[in-house]
Amino acid sequence: MKLIKRKLRIAVITVSILLISLVAYGVYSLGVSGNRWFSSSVNTSLRKVKQGVVPGRIYDRNGIQLAGANNKGERLYHTDETTRRSLVHVLGVPDGTVKNGVETFMSYLLYAYDDSYVRRLSAAFSGQMRNGYDLRLSISSGLSRMITDQFPKDKSGAVVVMNYRTGEILSLNSFPNFDPLAMEGVATNPQKPYINNVTQWRSAPGSTFKVVTLAAALANLPDAMERTFTCTGAYQVGESIITDAGNATHGEITLQRALAVSCNITFAKLALELGDEQLRLTAQSFGLDDHLLFSDLVVENSRYPSKDRIAKELAWTGPGQSVLFVTPLHMCLVASAIANDGVMMAPKLLLQALDHHKQGKAQMTPLVYKQVMTAKDADIIAEAMRQVILSGTGTRAAVPGLKICGKTGSAQIDGQESTNAWFVGFIDEKTLPYACCVVVNEAGEGSRHAAPLARQIFEYIKTQR
Amino acid sequence: MSERVKIKNRWLVLPGMLFFFTAYLLLGLKDFDVQAFVMAVAVPGVFFMVTVMLPKLIPADRILLTLVNFLCGLGILVLFRLNPERGFGQVTNYAVGLIGMIGCLLIVRFWPQIKWTMPMIIIVSIGLMALPLLIGTVKNGARAWVKMMGINFQPSEIIKVALLLVCAFMLARRMVVATLAFAGICLGLLFLQKDLGTAMLYYSITLILVYVATGSLTFLSLGTVGAGAGAFVGYQMNTYVQNRVKIWQNPWDDPYGVSYQVVQSMVAMVNGGPWGTGLGLGNAKIIPEVETDFIFAAIFHEFGLIFGVCVILMFLLIFLRGVGVAKRARSKFHTLLALGCSCVIAIQTFVIIGGNINMIPLTGVTLPFLSYGGTSMVSSMCIIGLLQGVANANERGLEEDQLIAMLGEES
Repeated sequence: MKLIKRKLRIAVITVSILLISLVAYGVYSLGVSGNRWFSSSVNTSLRKVKQGVVPGRIYDRNGIQLAGANNKGERLYHTDETTRRSLVHVLGVPDGTVKNGVETFMSYLLYAYDDSYVRRLSAAFSGQMRNGYDLRLSISSGLSRMITDQFPKDKSGAVVVMNYRTGEILSLNSFPNFDPLAMEGVATNPQKPYINNVTQWRSAPGSTFKVVTLAAALANLPDAMERTFTCTGAYQVGESIITDAGNATHGEITLQRALAVSCNITFAKLALELGDEQLRLTAQSFGLDDHLLFSDLVVENSRYPSKDRIAKELAWTGPGQSVLFVTPLHMCLVASAIANDGVMMAPKLLLQALDHHKQGKAQMTPLVYKQVMTAKDADIIAEAMRQVILSGTGTRAAVPGLKICGKTGSAQIDGQESTNAWFVGFIDEKTLPYACCVVVNEAGEGSRHAAPLARQIFEYIKTQR
Repeated sequence: MSERVKIKNRWLVLPGMLFFFTAYLLLGLKDFDVQAFVMAVAVPGVFFMVTVMLPKLIPADRILLTLVNFLCGLGILVLFRLNPERGFGQVTNYAVGLIGMIGCLLIVRFWPQIKWTMPMIIIVSIGLMALPLLIGTVKNGARAWVKMMGINFQPSEIIKVALLLVCAFMLARRMVVATLAFAGICLGLLFLQKDLGTAMLYYSITLILVYVATGSLTFLSLGTVGAGAGAFVGYQMNTYVQNRVKIWQNPWDDPYGVSYQVVQSMVAMVNGGPWGTGLGLGNAKIIPEVETDFIFAAIFHEFGLIFGVCVILMFLLIFLRGVGVAKRARSKFHTLLALGCSCVIAIQTFVIIGGNINMIPLTGVTLPFLSYGGTSMVSSMCIIGLLQGVANANERGLEEDQLIAMLGEES
């Protein structure tokens, strides 16, 4: 009997821990993801929450009002159509057609969901509308408008600009877009203009992924930058032959040069030498396969391909042409991490939330997402990306007087005639810490169709200094 | 029970009565529902009768009785609010459950006289367990239901009670192999029925009881490894299980499709917030199967996080109270029986609430005392009956001790 009672204790402690872990997990998950669940489009109670509340106004970083509301609680928008179009994916629309815009994802602030019961009751008795909180976003409406003006009219794609020191998103544009005041047919449009291509669309990033392969080489091969590779114009892996754009032959080439001219063969060899495991680990340190839970943005998780791949697939991963799934926002984060000495900042959209009496309800604080690599490796990659702009495929992104670094990409997608044009890059200046990612779908080479738009973005930022 | 504890129990019963009275009054005033007004008087009355008057007739652990009946009443209240018909149905289930509880109490009381029925219990259990495979109906991927004489029931719920009795009885006699054989047959049949949630429950209970009875760490580690292997085999063999795991890993992949249920449960909870939407003001009905599998989400939705935590803590109190009974028990059989009963309620609670908050993959077991369902209510109450039987025996044992002590002093 005594023996039994001693053994009892272990069983009791175990089962008690199970029950207490329910409480701990429940409180934890509600605390961490509660707002995310609350503002998801699945929540049918949201409409009920919105009743009797005038939604908060939304301002850009310079105090320009992007969305207001009349005292019946109906949304009012900016008078300029291009501005409305350029912001529709960031702001979202009140009926939730655009998933996870500010309008839905920050509805707990816009509709003052944490209002006290005293205020709720007094509003209910007096019949007055309550006021939601006003939001100031990190968005620059001028930059967004310029990008919408300059983006090819008949193409789909994505553009995102962020501050790599603080994570503030300056512009987030998805194409095609639409006017929130003309919503007929949007939900049934086969082009799906309501999808946010920056955060919800995943695709192969083409040669822009070479910066990640380069980071893997720096982390694993001590003499990587001193070595030379031989590019003969064709490289056979299994039954597949890897070639370069325009069937170029680069001959004896260093890694820095290989990045500048975007040599597929060198990066395929590099991927095979590193092996799947090393490349995967580096990609994961850049946040691929992470469960991305940013406070202000809902972003699809980027994916590195699953295990057990044949050599051909691995070889094509080096130049970024394999079955990678990366969002444009994520590639912008990759460029940001390189620019910011290897430190990836979490993207931020909300600068400040104020209630009706100008009391602060939320305030932006920069948040480090993760340390991706050493500052030294980041410098080496940045220098290679500088060469891309000076003497490589990215010359069209150069801006006189600014130290621009970048990488172009042309992603081949099965069943598409032209490649998707990619460009990721940043300004390497202390006073202008901005990075961008530009994607123009089915346009052709990144050097011709994405880099010039990046140049315009950098020029705009320079003039706004 | 000592005088001190009786006073404490009164302080549990009174707020309980007040809670039910105001709750039904609110529901009644909301839609001017006469039924609710009747319930506002009847439920606190019945609650008082069962928690204060009943233990006067049959000595039992009063705190345990109050907690269990409060949860039953809460279940009836929430079901009444969701669907009055289901609420009244649950009242019937509860009445049958009470009879089952008293019956099981008496079984433990008169066990020495009726223990010769053990072989029959084992044979009938295995027969019942095999029944769903022969004439069962499939529900939620499991072939666990049987319809007999117009009553739909789940044999595995009833056999849970028998399992506790059989395990405790045989382990008290060091018949470890026989115990494992019986549990093994039950588990095998459950596996064939694909009722994996219940199988998990049976497995963990057997594991705990055998470990406590034998004190063998080898067995405990072997059993844990076996559980892992079983889970792996179940996962590989059954696409239904794979889907469940997939939903658990990322419920937001398909919130309108396969994971609609659990996502709506999570959303309902966050809509409730810390204080809840208020009784009668929520829309928990949107969750499929809210009355059985997701009753906890409905409670959380309308009563809020703090109340939800309190419900979990009440289950913890029931568990600890049950363990207290096990510790005071005077025979190995009673200790094992009381421990098994406490563990089965606690683990079942963990499995289903864990599924509701997406902490573990969802399985179709019910939340004891709260979920709608006759079999579940009766089996949970029967388990509490066994526990109360041990508590009753403890008290009689104590009286005998005192008597002997008194006689000893006199002589």
